[in-house]
Amino acid sequence: MITQKICMLGSFSVGKTSLVRRFVERIFFDKYHTTIGVKVDKKTVPVNNTPVELALWDIYGEDDYQKVKMMYLRGMHGYLLVVDGTRRQTLDVALALNDKVTQTIRDVPFVLLLNKCDLADQWEIEPDTDKTYAAKGWQVLRTSAKTGENVDEAFSQLSLAMLAKMNSTSSPGESRST
Amino acid sequence: MAPDHILESFLAKEGFALFEHLGNGVFRPIGDFPPWLARTWGAQFERSATVRLGQHSAFLENFLVDAEEFWKAKKDGSANSGNWIERGEAGDQTPLEAAALWLDGRPVLLIRNFLRSFGEQKQWLQTARDSLLAHEQLVREIQKKEILLHCIIHDLSQPLSAMRGCFNCLTAGDLPADLGRYVDLGQRESQRQEQMIRGILEAFSGELAGQMSGAEKAADTVDLAERARHAVESFSAAFRGKGVHLQLDPALDPSRDWTSIGDAPRVDRIFGNLLENAMRYTPRGTAVTLGVVEKGNSLLAFVDDEGPGLPKGEPADKLFMLFAKGKDRPGKAGLGLYFCKMTVERWGGTIGAETRSRGGSRFWFSLPRAQSLATASKNAAANQTPPARRLPAQGSQERGLLEKGSKHQPAKETATPPARRNLAQAEKALRILVADDSEINRELAMELLKTRGHSTLGVSDGHQVIEALKKQRFDVVLMDEEMPEMGGLEATRAIRKAELSSGQHQAIIGLTGNATKEDEEECLKAGMDGFLSKPFDMHKLFQTLESAALGASRIASETPSALKTPDAPAEDVAAHLQRTTAGNEKLIRSLIKSFLADAPKKLSAIRQAISRKNAETVGSAAHALKGAVAIFGAPHAVASARNLESMGRAGNLANAVQEFQALEAELQILERQLRALNAAPRPKSKPARPARRPRRKTPTGGAR
Repeated sequence: MITQKICMLGSFSVGKTSLVRRFVERIFFDKYHTTIGVKVDKKTVPVNNTPVELALWDIYGEDDYQKVKMMYLRGMHGYLLVVDGTRRQTLDVALALNDKVTQTIRDVPFVLLLNKCDLADQWEIEPDTDKTYAAKGWQVLRTSAKTGENVDEAFSQLSLAMLAKMNSTSSPGESRST
Repeated sequence: MAPDHILESFLAKEGFALFEHLGNGVFRPIGDFPPWLARTWGAQFERSATVRLGQHSAFLENFLVDAEEFWKAKKDGSANSGNWIERGEAGDQTPLEAAALWLDGRPVLLIRNFLRSFGEQKQWLQTARDSLLAHEQLVREIQKKEILLHCIIHDLSQPLSAMRGCFNCLTAGDLPADLGRYVDLGQRESQRQEQMIRGILEAFSGELAGQMSGAEKAADTVDLAERARHAVESFSAAFRGKGVHLQLDPALDPSRDWTSIGDAPRVDRIFGNLLENAMRYTPRGTAVTLGVVEKGNSLLAFVDDEGPGLPKGEPADKLFMLFAKGKDRPGKAGLGLYFCKMTVERWGGTIGAETRSRGGSRFWFSLPRAQSLATASKNAAANQTPPARRLPAQGSQERGLLEKGSKHQPAKETATPPARRNLAQAEKALRILVADDSEINRELAMELLKTRGHSTLGVSDGHQVIEALKKQRFDVVLMDEEMPEMGGLEATRAIRKAELSSGQHQAIIGLTGNATKEDEEECLKAGMDGFLSKPFDMHKLFQTLESAALGASRIASETPSALKTPDAPAEDVAAHLQRTTAGNEKLIRSLIKSFLADAPKKLSAIRQAISRKNAETVGSAAHALKGAVAIFGAPHAVASARNLESMGRAGNLANAVQEFQALEAELQILERQLRALNAAPRPKSKPARPARRPRRKTPTGGAR
């Protein structure tokens, strides 16, 4: 089976763990629980009728206390860049992380997730943020781990992009078959 | 038990698992296995003589790449994996961390279950992040409150100022004693409301309340150079962390006086916001420079960075707007720079940003020097005009005289009461174009100017100014600096450009909400002749506009005949008749006789037509009267008749009654002049004395 490594990247408390739990376990907890270290969850999904095992690396949120180590991204096939729409500065953190990632690993598919869209009335980011970054060719989705809105879609879009990337390169990259 | 085994047992009990690296991802366990290992990776794990650890944990597989590099390089110390959570077969979660090291000449991997410290570590991190989230929330709430208070200051106070201005206008007019009491009451209550707003602000935001009444309070002073130095010290570490060198401008001379209006905590906050902004956009390996320079009577503090500069095609002002964020280079909540602007402007300063010619951006703010502020306050105190007070008895007396005047009784010379003395008619009635997009401000200025005897036309943007000037001449333009479509500065520049070929000079006085030196300089640089700040003092308004008109008449290269437009308010009736009839006394008397017989009929026809709402007749009768009146000059009467004619032709008699009253009053003056002229034995040598024109309430908008 093809295994693809996906990293969840973003500031703290943007909902990375909640997105993974919603996707893998179909549950959501309202209370914020900080993530320490890295937790790897797995879920097998059909992509283009092929079962693909997604290894979801839920990496602790970046802030002044914890900086994301680039070594965690080694072998990554794609990543979800998560922003909390209600906190403007989390977009800055996401963009800075994205810069770091692209300097280290080139041409890795990613999707920008503007999370907490169930709280859109409290958003601090500009309403057209999705359009702004979509215009740059990025894949952007408004998601809510709470309601589940676009969560499966986010992983699905990324999986398709990762497989397309894998198929477009002669070597199968760092995916592994079991 | 051998000492080695004792140590291995101890390590296992403490949760450590040790493996010797045999190469190619294969490991041999050393000593006892800790209990968590079988729980996490299965019982068969313990039975194996060698294991491939990477097969049991994706995280470990990733770390082993770094570990093998470490062992290969034979480095000292250890390579650490960082923390991860390993999920066991039963779904339980074990916090682990791994380290690669050399022990006794052997490459060893040590995996530790840090469950004991995990809870503690999680607790403090959770607390820290909860506090951070709570702080962010609190900051947002405070900022919302401050914005709300800001709205109270600006939005509620502005109409209040207009109301007070209206009361001033009423005070300047002639009111019966009972109405005067209502005006006094209104004035008192509006003042009380202003005090109440201030009281609320003092209760909920001392900072903003202080800023609201900043002009009335003695402002604090602050050493800008000292604060700049302090900011550099405070932010140096953060900038170093970003690989950016933060420095104080080497040209800043500490021995000079850098004291400006302001206070240290808020200046620190401004510097902080500007530096945070610079840090966000400045590339690694560059420098950010902070300094202070002199700029006229102000001090200008700046933060220079070597980043990409301001976004092209976007006005710098936009950066300082509420919730403004740089396009594609977003900042935080878009409040930091907005608060800088709010604070600086309340101190009478300005703030801005520009792309530097050598690359990078300059964010700056300028504040009045402490010394210049003291001087300004002193001058303001010395020049302060005592508030005009209406004297009800005298006011009503004058009103009575005017009412009598309407019954064709001659005007009587009366002593001008103190309040009225300031509002005496201008020596020369001017035609003034008032450009302001705020309807209430425009109306207020127009009403005040009419009270002074000037005629006005109101427009609401720069394009309309230019159009109005094409159609008719104005002695002076009162031009608001900020208007939609085309602002005052832009309109002035366009007018001045056009004057290069015409050789004329239109007097223009700028009007702005900001009373800073920089604003004045901006106005003058654009080509304005002077500058007034809102809210304006009416005496200052009259003085500035009348002086400007006088100055412009000197500057203008117009020919004398060009000045004699039909509306020119120069000649009196006698002189006009002398000129137009070449001194034919008989003709003059005949004209007067005919007019005095005919005008009341024409006036009556207009009155009747208005009462019957017959617009067509109003138009034709006013047209006829206009022609009759024009024989005697009488520009104001002609203007009123023309306005009525226009109203009639347009079929809109909404303001016809007021205009008719104005026309009637003008005709009373003319009648008195003509009767006096007719009665005089030698009108040629002794022209009739011009009678005082009554102040009148007229509909706004029409040029006279």
